[in-house]
Amino acid sequence: MKDQDPIVFVIDDDRMIREGMQSLIRSVGLRVEMFASAQDFLDAKRPDAPACLVLDVRMPGLSGLDLQLKLRDGGIPVPIIFITGHGDIPMSVRAMKEGAHEFLTKPVRGQDLLDAVQKAIAADRTLREERKDADEIRVRFDSLTPREKEVLELVVAGLLNKQIADQLRMSELTVKTHRAHVMEKTRAESLAHLVRMSEKLKSAARK
Amino acid sequence: METKGEAQSIARLVLRYVIALLLVTLAVLVSLSLQSSFGDPFWFFFSAAVILSTWFGRTGPGWLSVVCSTLAVMYYFTPPVRNFSVSPSELPYLVTFVVCQVGVTRLISWRRKTEDALREARDELEARVAERTVELKTANDALLKQMEEQRRTEETLQTTRAELARAARITTIGELTASIAHEVNQPLAAVVANADACVAWLSREHPDLPEAKAAAERATQGATRASDVITRIRSLINKTTTEKSQVPINQIIEQTAALAEEQAAKNQVQIKLELSPESPVVLGDSIQLQQVVLNLVMNGIEAMTNVADRQRTLTVQSGVQNGDVIRVAVLDSGIGLSEEIKQRLFEPFFTTRTKGMGMGLSISRSIIEAHGGTLWGESNGTAGSVFQFTLPGEAARLV
Repeated sequence: MKDQDPIVFVIDDDRMIREGMQSLIRSVGLRVEMFASAQDFLDAKRPDAPACLVLDVRMPGLSGLDLQLKLRDGGIPVPIIFITGHGDIPMSVRAMKEGAHEFLTKPVRGQDLLDAVQKAIAADRTLREERKDADEIRVRFDSLTPREKEVLELVVAGLLNKQIADQLRMSELTVKTHRAHVMEKTRAESLAHLVRMSEKLKSAARK
Repeated sequence: METKGEAQSIARLVLRYVIALLLVTLAVLVSLSLQSSFGDPFWFFFSAAVILSTWFGRTGPGWLSVVCSTLAVMYYFTPPVRNFSVSPSELPYLVTFVVCQVGVTRLISWRRKTEDALREARDELEARVAERTVELKTANDALLKQMEEQRRTEETLQTTRAELARAARITTIGELTASIAHEVNQPLAAVVANADACVAWLSREHPDLPEAKAAAERATQGATRASDVITRIRSLINKTTTEKSQVPINQIIEQTAALAEEQAAKNQVQIKLELSPESPVVLGDSIQLQQVVLNLVMNGIEAMTNVADRQRTLTVQSGVQNGDVIRVAVLDSGIGLSEEIKQRLFEPFFTTRTKGMGMGLSISRSIIEAHGGTLWGESNGTAGSVFQFTLPGEAARLV
């Protein structure tokens, strides 16, 4: 299996459950890594690939919810499938609010788990691609000079060259030159493309 | 007040002197009247006047009576008579008289003084004793009050302790249930996951037998673990020893009714007790039995929450049957029991309430059966239901 292949992390303090889930997920051809505790998972080196977490809520030491918060605060956005022994509603609400991908009650039906895992991986893949796109765009946008960035902002806001020139107190010709540089450096094919890229960047920053 | 007391003591002093003068005057009159027949009898009467004056009037009036007596004797009884002068021949006689009178008044006033001091000391002592008595009584009262308070505190403590024990047991049951659920669910989850994995490995285009076998083995391990948990719980329950003692069942009912009073009031339910005058006693665990009664009473109260057209009455009866079987019944005027509910009443986790674990009656029945009795429920004639249990009486056990 390659490093870019999707991977499922199973974190459960109960060995038999851990191994059962691992075996089940592996049977559909997915890569699985098991951890006996949330701390072990945090300490491990994780491959850079689409992934999801199958996480037991109730664990000694760092609980599943604790780990969720730690990952969020650490800027590690992995979809989490929570497994809970008792359908504790306040706990599920809390986990869902923090962005849990799925919440399954023990004993989990095999198919439910596999479905949830597939969906979570697909979601992570999309997210990763979005992040990758945004990263590329950011690199391009970062290469702009401060003046070009100012021009970009106003272009994206829909202002005409003349208006931009007035606002930035420069000649229309200079605006046109800056604008051409912006289109070139960001590899924008059209004004619409430039606007889309700018929006993407902003929404990625929000996430 | 003070001036009044002072005036009184001055008046008393004056009176003493007046009495001294009167006594001397009386002595003069008597002596004079008797002079013709007895010669010179003045010795006796003046001595008496001095004695009495000193006795009742103390030192001052005593001296006054001595001086007056001397003057009277000089005037009336020593020649020349009717004159204060005394003839030299009479002088030794008069001196003897005066010395005697002075001696008498000194002696008497000394006696009197001693007596006064004694009385004063006695009065003071009495006052002190009275004071001490009052102090002692106050202290005693305080002590009694303290003892009463302590007794009351102890009673409260005991009640609280019993309540705590009950609450602890109820909590323990709840926690135990949650813990059992987790302990059993955990291996079950492992069984399901591994069985699913086994099926998945077998369902592949090229079934992976080693993987399927490993998963199936883990499933078996999980099932074994679940069964171990059950065995452990069973042995735990068997080991739990109940504290058996002689339990007065009427007292248990009264205590329980008191405990449920608040809940009853909240639901406008009136609790009526019809207790056996025989005060039956059973051998058992008082807290467990109280728990059973409380459970039945609470169920009864709960069953009447929707009753609006009739009095909400909960009756708890105790009685003795066939000489040695004790029966306790809890009757409510609630909605009664449908045939379907009646069938399932004692099933664990069966409940008709939205909030309830459905363990109450099931646990109650286990407790009663562990005490060698039976617990059952049925409809109570026209309205409501009746839950009752029988227990072997203590008399039967002792025989």
